[in-house]
Amino acid sequence: MATHIVMDHTGDRRHQFDPQDASELAEAETRFKELTGLGFTAATRTAAGETLKVASFDPTAEETLFFPRLVGG
Amino acid sequence: MGLLFRNWRRSTDPPRFRTVRALYNIVRTSNSPEARGRRLLRRWLSEGQLAQFDAFNFFDVIGCHTARRYRIYYATSANVEELDEVGCPLMRYCFIPMGYLAPGDVMLAQKIALETEELAALEVANRFPPKAQRPAQGSRPQIVRSSA
Repeated sequence: MATHIVMDHTGDRRHQFDPQDASELAEAETRFKELTGLGFTAATRTAAGETLKVASFDPTAEETLFFPRLVGG
Repeated sequence: MGLLFRNWRRSTDPPRFRTVRALYNIVRTSNSPEARGRRLLRRWLSEGQLAQFDAFNFFDVIGCHTARRYRIYYATSANVEELDEVGCPLMRYCFIPMGYLAPGDVMLAQKIALETEELAALEVANRFPPKAQRPAQGSRPQIVRSSA
């Protein structure tokens, strides 16, 4: 199972999907596009712990984190 | 849950009431936004950053474009400092994700931003002079001089 983690005021909400299931994969891709379209940044991490920003949906990513657009505080 | 506690308080078994209330508080606080944000942050930190965070409640990241070192403190605003070679703060930055996020979430977003799109993060950041106090004891890197 793969997971989309979306940061929000509750901490985060998680969406799990099976990358082998075509309908769940399509739903996950739609969610990815919606969130990045809203200004969320998507990131994954490598096994070595390095973080990577991702610009397009990666069906092989085990965990993708989304955080809202950054603004000056 | 509150009604249940009010009724139970009058019960003839106060120790059991206290135990259940303590358990309820543990579950409630472990699922709070702050606790969840902290757990998520810890999972995404590198080994070195995690050790530093556990010891000092802050961690350092290296900017992906300039290789400058930044220190991210446990807070939700104006909590990022740029450090010089010996660990003295040069500038304080404030850039945060939109919405009311827990400190752990804010720190994780700042870490990822600095490690993957440093210049874009600094572009939106507000800048302040660094805090007057010196870094916490033990937080400075040790300078090793060669004896050659």
